[in-house]
Amino acid sequence: MRRSITTLLPLLLAGATGCGTVGAAQEAVDPTTVRVLVRDINIRAAGVDCAGTGPYQHFHNRAPFRVLDPDGAALASGQLPAGTAVAAFAEDLGVERLPTYCEFAVGVRVPQRTSYRLEVDGRPALDLTPDSSEGPALVAVVPS
Amino acid sequence: MRRALLPLLLAAALLGGCSTPEPEPEPAPAPAPAGGAAALPGPVPADLALRPAPGTAPAAPAFTGALTDGTPFAAAELWAQRPVVLIFFNSWCTTCASSQAALSELARSYRDRVIFVGVAGADQADEVQDYLRAHRVEYPVVLDDQQTIWRSYAVREPPAVVLVAKGGALLRGWPGGLDAPTLDRRLRELVLADQP
Repeated sequence: MRRSITTLLPLLLAGATGCGTVGAAQEAVDPTTVRVLVRDINIRAAGVDCAGTGPYQHFHNRAPFRVLDPDGAALASGQLPAGTAVAAFAEDLGVERLPTYCEFAVGVRVPQRTSYRLEVDGRPALDLTPDSSEGPALVAVVPS
Repeated sequence: MRRALLPLLLAAALLGGCSTPEPEPEPAPAPAPAGGAAALPGPVPADLALRPAPGTAPAAPAFTGALTDGTPFAAAELWAQRPVVLIFFNSWCTTCASSQAALSELARSYRDRVIFVGVAGADQADEVQDYLRAHRVEYPVVLDDQQTIWRSYAVREPPAVVLVAKGGALLRGWPGGLDAPTLDRRLRELVLADQP
């Protein structure tokens, strides 16, 4: 019995110490919105739910994503919501279904970094650019 | 010697405990996958009256595949006997989900006269099952993992609905899908004779 305690005690202490260190090392995070505009020019009604088409099919509702720092470390992760179809051209074409892009927006909380990248469903990561025109956001346009 | 007997005694006690085992409950049989062979239609009703397909209609791309339970499937075998509605969908598709329950009900109302067939493109089999059960889909569903069927019908995004006449004429396609009342009306206009 004494031997068991002797063996377990350092492990228990190490575990407790480890938890404390992790908690103390957490950084301040700021809320922001990751916005991705998929310029697939698909024919849809503006405003409907959408997913990327053609080479951008991996952009869709429930697709896993990660926000990465410049070193590739994950800062936030989650699943994309459905996209929203936005008209590709300002002109009124007089039809219900028109050329559209598919825009995704998802809220995240990330620590301050010099730059960010977005990985969706394990595909090559995209550069995210800060944009504050509609509140704090990190945006990407594909194809860029 | 006494120490050597101890394991024997323990083993005997354990075996004694096993002499009156509790009968293990039979594991419940796994439910048949939704969208599998059990969802294939029965015989065509003898009184099914159909409109002739326009002679100008192109032939629908014939395709084969596997249903959710692995059953081989050939679309042309179905439309040789009756009209077919193809429902292209994904389990994650919110627009598909919003109209699916009504489409499932419409498919039940036309059972054996007009057969609905789901075509799930590049999806997870377990998530497709969750979707089919959640929306009471009781028609056959083909898993189109490589999206070859999707491409042959130029489907770029779910949902999409395609109507094929008996004999294989491609009558109409609706990218973006359509709701059940509209599809019902189009079925009466395009394929079903003697329908109000």
